[in-house]
Amino acid sequence: MAETDFASAFEGDVPVGTKTPSALRNRVQDWIPATVAFIAVIGVWEGAIRAFDIQAFVLPAPSVIIQRFVETSDVIWSAGLNTLIEAVGGLVLGTVLAVLVAAMTVRWAPVREGLMPFAIAANSVPIIALAPIANGMFSITSPVPKMVVVAIVVFFPVMVNTARGLIEVDSAELELMRSYAATPGEIMWRVRVPHALPYFFSALKVVSVLSIVFAIVAEYFGGPQDVLGQYILTKANLFVYPDAWAGILVASILGVALYALTLLSERLFMPWHVSFRASDAS
Amino acid sequence: MRVVDAKGVGKTFGTGSESVEALRDINLTIDPGEFISLIGPSGCGKSTLLRLVGDLTGPTSGELSINGKPASQARSNRDYGIVFQKATLLDWRTVKKNVELPLEIMDIEDSAAADEMLDLVQLGDFKEHYPWQLSGGMQQRVAIARALTFNPSLLLMDEPFGALDEMTREQMQQEVLRIWDETETTVVFVTHSIPEAVFLSTRIVVMSPRPGQISDVIETGLDHPRDVETRESPEYYRKVTEVREALRRQEGHG
Repeated sequence: MAETDFASAFEGDVPVGTKTPSALRNRVQDWIPATVAFIAVIGVWEGAIRAFDIQAFVLPAPSVIIQRFVETSDVIWSAGLNTLIEAVGGLVLGTVLAVLVAAMTVRWAPVREGLMPFAIAANSVPIIALAPIANGMFSITSPVPKMVVVAIVVFFPVMVNTARGLIEVDSAELELMRSYAATPGEIMWRVRVPHALPYFFSALKVVSVLSIVFAIVAEYFGGPQDVLGQYILTKANLFVYPDAWAGILVASILGVALYALTLLSERLFMPWHVSFRASDAS
Repeated sequence: MRVVDAKGVGKTFGTGSESVEALRDINLTIDPGEFISLIGPSGCGKSTLLRLVGDLTGPTSGELSINGKPASQARSNRDYGIVFQKATLLDWRTVKKNVELPLEIMDIEDSAAADEMLDLVQLGDFKEHYPWQLSGGMQQRVAIARALTFNPSLLLMDEPFGALDEMTREQMQQEVLRIWDETETTVVFVTHSIPEAVFLSTRIVVMSPRPGQISDVIETGLDHPRDVETRESPEYYRKVTEVREALRRQEGHG
């Protein structure tokens, strides 16, 4: 998980040129295959259910899910908001801690040498197994135990990626700064931090989606009822599958929204980056 | 006062049986306004000598002073600008912001300096471009502008044109001479190209490898300003031959 996307962030050739109207048109064209594929899948899904008379407890038709999505919108969006608060709370908490620890690993080599192997090993612990314990450690009726689970999930990939970005700076850039007699603080802000941003955002793109997933899974282990995990669980137990699917749809929308927000902030914070250059169509 | 004064300078990397002697007994003085090239085969320690002058590494023996101070003091005083073989521009900064980087670090308030330097290297129209939008030669010119923007008395260049094609390379040599002439900076220039060393330098320090030592110091004595005609003059060819023979004599030793 921690390794995701490092390389891809730096791949591609280095084109010379800037954004042009045709680049914008290309961008629209880029979306066409995905949109067509999406509509086709929904169409096949709907058609198959009608053609083979598949029962709703196996798989409800998209039209039925959309109908319940609209009819129950008050309840599911209220649950969605509570889940979102847990996810974003955990995302912020985990990310802030991860960045602080990553910065410390750069400033103090013993922290790096002592912590990194442990961090990488800890990353393989099935973190969701901690959910019931977190419920016991904090008030089960509060969103805090879920935030803690999400924060732990978020922490390791962000910390490992960010630390790598801060450390793996071109040695010539460091010598250049040395020739200016720059202080460690100046090297940190002017070279290491900008260099780490692409690494940081690769990790953030992964964990922004995971935060919703893990908030919902943590909710399955109990706690307040007005959350997506409990809503989906309850509806599934009552065999009201279209309602459960409507809840899943809300979860998906939230996940995509968080991902899109991360992409947007990535562009705001590093407009110079290779992956945004005009001819990059990937 | 001497810009560079090296007395019996040696540099050994590592210790014990793993150790490599990179430089032995280097004695060299450089006066203000000189253009000195360090030339020699790979492993002759020419880059190491440049890095010692810039206090990017320390000598293991001997004495080295820059502008009458220890090299570390000269670095703290920002006495020199450096240009590497790679332009080493920061990707996230525009051309102008890259040139302003040393000013920011040194807390120098001079909003015109970067513009002047970019005009000097003829990149005035590219201030707001990002490094990836420039060719290799243009990037290297930005690196030169950056090295000069705080008016250092000494310019260190470590094979700055090694990665450029021959045409661009000759153009850049011409520009460096023009800049040297206009700024009156002392230049120490590492190269493995004989014509480049002869065309640029007032004196050429010829080095031999294992361990790196100074084998000859050759005055070029060519008139300034130098241009395309200099490259075609008999004096130029004689000097190129002289340097080549100095380098060839080493093979007999090794």
